[in-house]
Amino acid sequence: MKSNIIKFSFAAALATVSFTACKKDEVKTPEPVEQELITTVKLKVTRLDDMSVKTFMYKVENGFGSTTQGAVTIDSVILAANKEYNVEVELLNEKENPAEDVTKEVKEESNEHLFIYQSNPATGNGSIGFGMGNKDGNGNPLNQTIKFITASAGKGGLTVTLKHEPTNKAATTPDAAGGETDVEATFPVRLQ
Amino acid sequence: MYRLLMAVYIWLGFFQPIYAQDSCNITVDCRVVETHNGQPLYPVSVYIDEMKREFETDEDGRFQISNACAGKYHIHFHAAGYEHLVKELNITANASLKFSLSHIDNELDEVIVADDHTKTIIQSKSNMNRMDIVANSGKTLGDMLQRVNGVSVLSNGATIAKPVIHGLYGNRIIILNNGIRQEDQQWGSEHAPNIDPFLANNITVLKGASGVRYGTDAIGGVVLVEPSVVRTMQGWGGEVNFAGFSNNRMGVASATVEHGFKYIKGLGIRLQGTLKQGGNYRIPGHWAANTGTMESNYSATLAYKRAHFGAEVFYSHFNTQLGVYRGAHTGNEKDLLFAINSDTPTIYTGFTYNLARPMQHISHDLWKLKLNADNRAGAFSLVYAYQHNYRQEYDVIRGNTDKAQLNLTLNTQTLNLNFNHKAIGGITGQIGIDGTYQENYMQDGDRLFIPNYRSPAAAAYIIERYRLRKLTLEAGLRYDYKHYEVYNPEGNNQAVVRYDFDYSNASGTIGLKYKVKPNWEWTATLANAWRTPQANELFSAGLHHSAARIELGDKNLLPEKAYSLNVETIYNLPDKWHAEVSLYSQYINDFIYLSPGADILTIRGYFKTFSYRQTDAWLNGADVSVRYQIMKPLEAHLKTSFLFARDIQQRDWLILMPADRVSAGLKHRFNISKTVQDVFVGIDARYVFRQWRIPANFDAIDNPRPPMDYTVLDAEAGASIMLNGHPVYCSITVMNMLNKAYRDYMDAFRYFINQQGTNAVLRLRIPFNFYENKSKI
Repeated sequence: MKSNIIKFSFAAALATVSFTACKKDEVKTPEPVEQELITTVKLKVTRLDDMSVKTFMYKVENGFGSTTQGAVTIDSVILAANKEYNVEVELLNEKENPAEDVTKEVKEESNEHLFIYQSNPATGNGSIGFGMGNKDGNGNPLNQTIKFITASAGKGGLTVTLKHEPTNKAATTPDAAGGETDVEATFPVRLQ
Repeated sequence: MYRLLMAVYIWLGFFQPIYAQDSCNITVDCRVVETHNGQPLYPVSVYIDEMKREFETDEDGRFQISNACAGKYHIHFHAAGYEHLVKELNITANASLKFSLSHIDNELDEVIVADDHTKTIIQSKSNMNRMDIVANSGKTLGDMLQRVNGVSVLSNGATIAKPVIHGLYGNRIIILNNGIRQEDQQWGSEHAPNIDPFLANNITVLKGASGVRYGTDAIGGVVLVEPSVVRTMQGWGGEVNFAGFSNNRMGVASATVEHGFKYIKGLGIRLQGTLKQGGNYRIPGHWAANTGTMESNYSATLAYKRAHFGAEVFYSHFNTQLGVYRGAHTGNEKDLLFAINSDTPTIYTGFTYNLARPMQHISHDLWKLKLNADNRAGAFSLVYAYQHNYRQEYDVIRGNTDKAQLNLTLNTQTLNLNFNHKAIGGITGQIGIDGTYQENYMQDGDRLFIPNYRSPAAAAYIIERYRLRKLTLEAGLRYDYKHYEVYNPEGNNQAVVRYDFDYSNASGTIGLKYKVKPNWEWTATLANAWRTPQANELFSAGLHHSAARIELGDKNLLPEKAYSLNVETIYNLPDKWHAEVSLYSQYINDFIYLSPGADILTIRGYFKTFSYRQTDAWLNGADVSVRYQIMKPLEAHLKTSFLFARDIQQRDWLILMPADRVSAGLKHRFNISKTVQDVFVGIDARYVFRQWRIPANFDAIDNPRPPMDYTVLDAEAGASIMLNGHPVYCSITVMNMLNKAYRDYMDAFRYFINQQGTNAVLRLRIPFNFYENKSKI
């Protein structure tokens, strides 16, 4: 009986030693990556009558993934009243160096994305009207490029929303489109 | 519906008079005593082959076999230090029997518990036995535990469920899987315990703080998932289970095979496996998109048992793939509000078994080695376990990749050394030490969820018990130490910063049990437990994709400390009444909770932020359960539980606490013939109140208000059919019979969709058993 206890204690001691001995020296340093980070929305605006080009940016330094979003810089969209513009939206991840062009990915998966533009006010002074945009692989709207028609001089707001996997590709409001919001950037607008 | 009720009514009426002596209502009262001095023996584990039922004697050496059918049975008695006794029993009518066991060395020694220190403790507890488990087979562990009074679930739809004991859940509850503390990744409400319930022969829920026995985190309680003793008797045994669920067209198959070796006495093996696949489930009127589930689990046990020595090796593998409702994944606060305000699902879909993003894939491996030995001084046991948990989460993303966006590994090693000493002046008890080493890490390129950490911990405990006639007194002490080494990426360049935390705490417990009469007892327990803040509470700093909110950890959080008082009384009048009333009060110092903060504007629009804060919480409640036999075959039951959870500092209610509930039912048991026995028909109604005990600032934190109260009806019927002398059990259960559309406050999908609609389950269980040498028994 006694030998049983001795054997047992020995086994216990052995197990304890091996248990404490298997400690690893280094914990691997994690390199977290926020998937598909978008930090910047860039509007490239070409005035149709004189082909002059302007760009407006909406930037959140650390994008949406992190709680410390860093500096937020939003350009005012200053355009001439009663004109037509061709607009191209670019999405960037400026956390990468050089900046990653997320627009390419969105265009590759055009069937799963939809850009939606909203003007506030919807009509009248300071408002912007929207023409037809480009299409996805199935011939449904993608609107990554679109035509702006500015109204008379005034102040307003422009919201650009990018929806991922929308349930309704013909929608003109984010709610009606369904899916998930990838980008929702509101620019102040001044038409002069 | 009325037609169905009528049919059930007529059926009930029709069979009412048939309950003869050959029915399955025989009750046998048994008592186990020591051969030489006639003293009652406890605990003795008793097992009946044919019933596949396990019993344990109480302090008076008694146990009761209820609802037994007439017939021949083989009954096994196991107690440490005593000879293994097998008796053949011929049950014909109600009887009272006495069995005696002899000590192996013919010494008049005190009985020693060689097994886990879990069974005899004084604590408010509820049990699900083999029959309850079988009647719910195919469900997840969390879902199954809802049958226990005082337990509810925190769920993500119909496939992900976490048990809630007396209002507490997640890391405030410990699950012991086959004696090993389950270490899986319980970071959020969408992380369900990774256990195959088909492993279990018995599930016990200990309610209230149990820090002394189970260490850190056992604030809300403990769930013990215990398999049956491995067969070491010669021959083959096992069973096959099938279940089919109509709602999500889910099929479940599980098989167990056991073998006791002929040439090596005391050696036995058990192999077990489960397969499960279900598709999208259906809520009234719609399919829930991407809610399929898939599981494949297996386990193997090798056990060697001698009179004074035992060894066991156990391995189990759990593997599951779970779809997460697509409509619950939202991009920002606006999306979330839109999904909430929509009456119908925002995603329309049909039925499919296919899983798409968002999706989880989890595997859990457990290795366990147990050695035990006993002699005149007492019983020793040594348990070592290694657990490997691997969780992959697939987010909805842009771009073509098969990769998971989260690959978390959690490895845990545990060691327990326990010694149950023999009685010293009438005091029995145990002392022991626990050691744990845990590491958690993510893969490069993962989205940051919780930082890498490693954590060694150690503890020592002592629990002593003294019995004075009708009164049993128990007291315990424990000291825990835990170290955390966290590597957290911080700042704009995400440089890794190392943090070290040291936590230590003493816990204590005092329990009293008073047996007024053999069938009436009181227990009172005063206990405490503590919990260290988890890595996510300390360091969480990011977006919760599905909830469209940002959670912020706090490095300065202190450990939670809980003090709980439980008073319980159990009264049992055989064939008439069984009543259990349990009252509890729990005070939690530095209770960690999420408090709402300001909105953050990001390029994705607005998000709500939530920060981990601490307050003092006080939880009070009651669980009442009553069974009453109206007539011999007809039994009624009533269960209810109430909870009042207060935030003491804010003088307000705590958020996300289960609502009060009442359930009532009728069960009718009878026999039709010799071949169709154990027939039962039952109906159950569950009423859940609307939770009105919510914080005053609820609308700012959690929109919309808790859902309305609801009633759900379930029905069941089953029988055991003898085929060539082998019993085959089959049953049909219909859950949510009326296809009621309702939402539950504790369901994370309540914002988006209703609970599961009608679900009919067909179950089949075929046990088998062969003895190689019948004359030996």
